[in-house]
Amino acid sequence: MKISIQARMLGVMLLGLHLIVFFAGFFAPYETSLQNRDLPFAPPAHIHFLDIQGKIHPRPLVCVLVERSDAFAEYFEDRGHCFPVRFLVRGAPYKLFGLMRSNVHLFGVDAPATIFLMGTDAYGRDVFSRFLYGGQISLFAGLIATVLTLVLGALLGTLAGYYGGWLDAGIMRGAELFLALPWLYFLIAVRAFLPLSLSPKDAFVMLIAVIGFVGWARPARLIRAVVLSSREHHYVLAARLFGASDMYLMRRHILPDTYSILLTQAVLLIPQYVLAEVTLSFLGLGAGEPTPSWGSMLSTLQQYSVLVSYWWMLIPGLVLVPVFFGYVLLASELQSGRKTAAS
Amino acid sequence: MRFLVHRLLHSIFLLVGISLLSFAFLELAPGNFFDEMRLNPQISHDTLVHLEKQYGLDHSFAERYLAWVRSAVKGDWGVSFAYGSPVAPLIWTRARNTLLLTGLAMLLSWMIALPVGLLGAAERGRWLDNFFSLGTSLLLVTPDLLLALGLLWLALRTHWFPAGGMQSLSSSSAHADKLKDVAFHLMAPVAILVLGGLPVLVRHIRAAAIDALQQPCIRAARSHGISRVRILFRHGLPLAAAPLVSLFGFSLASLLSASLLVEVVMSWPGLGPLLLEAILARDVYLVIGAVMLAALFLAGGMLITDCLLFAADPRIRTEKLA
Amino acid sequence: MCWQLSKQLTALFWLTTCVCVFSCQASAQSSPSNEELQITNNPVGHRGGRLVVSLRSEPKTLNPVTSADISSREVLAEMTGDLIHINRFSQNVEPALAKSWKVSRDGLEYTLRLRHGLRFSDGHPLDADDVLFSFQLYLDDKVNSPQRDLLIVGGKPITIRRLDSNTVVFHLAQPYAAAERLFDSVAILPRHLLEQAYKDGKLAQTWGLSTAPDKIAGLGAFRLKEYVAGQHLTLERNPYYWKADREKQRLPYLDEITFLFVPNADAEVIRFQAGDTDVVNRLSAEDYSLLKSDEAAHAFHVYDVGASLEYNFLFFNLNSALPGNSAISQKQAWFRQVKFRQAISLAIDRASMVRLIYRGLATPLWTPVTPASSFWMDTAIPHPARSVVQAKKLLQDAGFSWSQTGDLTDSDRSTVKFTILTSASSRQRIQMATMIQQDLKELGISADVVPLEFRSVVDRIFRTHDYEAAILGLGGGDVDPNSQMNVWLSSGNDHVWDIGENHPATSWEAEIDQLMEKQLSTLKPQARKQLYDRVQQIIADNLPVISLVSPNILVAARNRLANFEPAALDPHTLWNAQELFLSGMGASGQP
Repeated sequence: MKISIQARMLGVMLLGLHLIVFFAGFFAPYETSLQNRDLPFAPPAHIHFLDIQGKIHPRPLVCVLVERSDAFAEYFEDRGHCFPVRFLVRGAPYKLFGLMRSNVHLFGVDAPATIFLMGTDAYGRDVFSRFLYGGQISLFAGLIATVLTLVLGALLGTLAGYYGGWLDAGIMRGAELFLALPWLYFLIAVRAFLPLSLSPKDAFVMLIAVIGFVGWARPARLIRAVVLSSREHHYVLAARLFGASDMYLMRRHILPDTYSILLTQAVLLIPQYVLAEVTLSFLGLGAGEPTPSWGSMLSTLQQYSVLVSYWWMLIPGLVLVPVFFGYVLLASELQSGRKTAAS
Repeated sequence: MRFLVHRLLHSIFLLVGISLLSFAFLELAPGNFFDEMRLNPQISHDTLVHLEKQYGLDHSFAERYLAWVRSAVKGDWGVSFAYGSPVAPLIWTRARNTLLLTGLAMLLSWMIALPVGLLGAAERGRWLDNFFSLGTSLLLVTPDLLLALGLLWLALRTHWFPAGGMQSLSSSSAHADKLKDVAFHLMAPVAILVLGGLPVLVRHIRAAAIDALQQPCIRAARSHGISRVRILFRHGLPLAAAPLVSLFGFSLASLLSASLLVEVVMSWPGLGPLLLEAILARDVYLVIGAVMLAALFLAGGMLITDCLLFAADPRIRTEKLA
Repeated sequence: MCWQLSKQLTALFWLTTCVCVFSCQASAQSSPSNEELQITNNPVGHRGGRLVVSLRSEPKTLNPVTSADISSREVLAEMTGDLIHINRFSQNVEPALAKSWKVSRDGLEYTLRLRHGLRFSDGHPLDADDVLFSFQLYLDDKVNSPQRDLLIVGGKPITIRRLDSNTVVFHLAQPYAAAERLFDSVAILPRHLLEQAYKDGKLAQTWGLSTAPDKIAGLGAFRLKEYVAGQHLTLERNPYYWKADREKQRLPYLDEITFLFVPNADAEVIRFQAGDTDVVNRLSAEDYSLLKSDEAAHAFHVYDVGASLEYNFLFFNLNSALPGNSAISQKQAWFRQVKFRQAISLAIDRASMVRLIYRGLATPLWTPVTPASSFWMDTAIPHPARSVVQAKKLLQDAGFSWSQTGDLTDSDRSTVKFTILTSASSRQRIQMATMIQQDLKELGISADVVPLEFRSVVDRIFRTHDYEAAILGLGGGDVDPNSQMNVWLSSGNDHVWDIGENHPATSWEAEIDQLMEKQLSTLKPQARKQLYDRVQQIIADNLPVISLVSPNILVAARNRLANFEPAALDPHTLWNAQELFLSGMGASGQP
């Protein structure tokens, strides 16, 4: 399979992004649960290259934020108190891979100045740090759950479409059953049997399991439709006449036909699953405070007063657009890459 | 014919299965409708027990299920705890409004998604396709609720469309005026549903069309000098049919459930507000009534899908009937 | 600027209300048709117009006997009348359908005299038999009215007999301090419309939402005009209403009230901004500041009515009946120590809660009685400032110590760790939990916040007792301590930290039981207050509940709405709907 240059570049870009999320501890300047209670809803930090006397600083400056005494969450910069941004500084301890202890951060600034690249939330917690750490749960859970869903969906969809008959009827009615049931109550019931507090790790596994388990029905039906028509292709019939085994046929001729559907579904499912975390949090199956997640960050936006008053709370959402755009393009490249290879 | 009879039988089994499992799920979930009253210091424990008895919550699972089946056959579909009245009329008066909204939204989204998806496929890799891809990525990360709030905010600023509801309070009783009023109120919620549903449709249509355009017959047609647009709609579309028909089936199946959250934010008098309240309040029979109605749509949608699939591909049909 | 003037005027009139009630009655008796209208003291308005109010959820029924949800009760409050009414502003009782009453010397008999010439909203006259019939319905244990328990005093239902067509006598099994308040919101019902259904055993199904307007009648200022499923419910003026203003103009002023169903808080604000509604009954602090900044440009005003009756509190699971094989009983060794609870309370930063969660529009609490009940709140209870140092000292005294990593450990060397359960549907309570989590970190305690769906929370607290600590909010209802009986009595079913005890678990709980029972039958308000102050003192000392904050009541209304006087008690905005009028209407609005 030939992979185009564009696809390679996209791949590298996405890989880099995932690495940043993976090494969030290093890239994030603050601890995610640290509440700066005197700085709620602080706007993104202003980076200055000029100090108050107009002198140019090669090392960018950040100034101390002061809340106005007469209004909630309205700030002015104290230009007299500015501190340089430092790189590779020591700060809050964290663990890499959950193993290596470290306290070196890519950047930071001396107290009392603060550097909030994306502003702060209602508790005065750094949104940028939370965004990076949030990806650890949301992005990876989304990816793994998508793979799980698609593997299940492809397996059952292919079986149903290929063999037909009672197997098809059974699997498809099963899919319909899955689509129609009020899963919410099942999850509420499941929650009642789980221990009171779920660690972020448990929540991560729960998320993947629940989504992967419930989500297979849709892709299965879509794949079955493709398999139904692709098993009637002349070359498939011919191969069968030559005595090709079912396994061989499915692997060599049928599954490749479902490739583009699988890719499309993957692109659509990842963001859906990131958002699904919100619903699960509501049932107590998510990560829960103070663990950050992209789903919960997007859900604070769905509050009219926040949306209207603090525009910078939109930034995490906007940053996600290029990420998912990257996925969409990658899928598109992979699809055409395969086609050119095939022709 | 035999196929249809088979499928109908299957659907009946399916509905019974769904109702039984839904009952089981609701049984397993902790808490019941009257729990909210527990927090009211002015209602005693005895009264709660009496109320639970009055609504038959002390009966066994089997007894309650059978009572519900009897009531469903009668056309009541059980009694809502909150409203103290049969479920069927409660759901039906609101389901009509939901269907008006989602039906229109579905029609529009397919009308927009088809040309956009096909164009994206034809212009693959060029700026128009990339533009569409960026648009769908943007819509994918935007929760419907955020979209709804954004539009409401726009409504406040511009007064281009109303900020929610289905009818103005002071609308005249003339038929034409009423229709115009409802159409005016439909604009924003339909727009949200269309925008929310577009990415899925566009991505699938585009992918299917790309696959179809790779087929030998299309390449042959192109070499014969047939125009691109003609190829796309006359030859490409039918070839891409299989996944699209399934997708269409899903659109049909989700007519009742696609708009629930949007309805709540836009104060649309559909099933959304009624159901979300009922779900949280454990108004068991109301929830199951809605689940059953949605299941009916699902079974219907899937049946239509299968019929269309077989109609589109004669080879499948002959084999099935054999 | 109209509202400001009217506000000052109304404030003036309120000062004189108590004096005026009886003298006004005298003038009403002289009305020509022998109709004893109640004369109100509000600034005189003019008739006409429609008020549009948003309701967060649809009312479920129009049957006052069976209704339990807030929306139904809010609508019914405008459609029905009670014998004696609690004035939502002054929080005192005032005459309503009963123009006066007498109490027997032993405090057991209440003789109520009904107004002459009262009519239901369908024109049918009311007499004592309707009152008897109404109470029969509420007290019938086959009907299961949620109001029934209120009418049971000293374990026995109150009894009622008719003296003549205008006089009824209520008999209580034991003296009851808040007896007059019992009558509030007990709607008097028309026998001629409901008796048949009651005899057929179909009362619960009558007066549903689909009932024709002419089949429903009440004694409220408004009567049903139209209900459109999912959209709105409209009430129209009751032409037989029994109140009039100083100029003998019969109330209400408004022609119609429309309740618009807007099922989402954000949508409620947006539709108010869009001009679709005239009043928002309850705003969040964020929405309040949002609207406040818009106030000048638009013709509306937001009101901070002050503290509500809602008190949010943290409490620990002190139940003796626990789910099998649970680790909770070990943790209860900490929870049961008063010093441990005191340390937690001292470490909580209530001021930040008020500021960050409520933008300053709330009151920090050290007792479960909020400033909204100004008479009952014990102001002598100290408000210790947050102090981590003192908290640590208390923990040390109680035998706790700190490990090398700074984690708090008990005398058995096990780390102190617990979960805080809270409802996922309350953003504010999740925020409180998250802040407490951060506060407790400074004590070396790691607390996990566990938000669950509401009914799962209720199930764990009230039925399975499978939780460690939880945050709840209670309140609403009435200011009188009687409304909290079930919370403080150890046998009460809302005695959240230890539910369903047969006898008090501790000596201080036994003392609370005694005090609460005693205040119930003490008739002098000052004596009652002393008893209730003592209860509050015991709670503040022992902290079975750690009170956190009470949010303010925040409402919004258009400027043209005159006589608008929002109150801390439910319904905050429409409690005086009969006196509201639209000032911009001009002459066209007048008859």
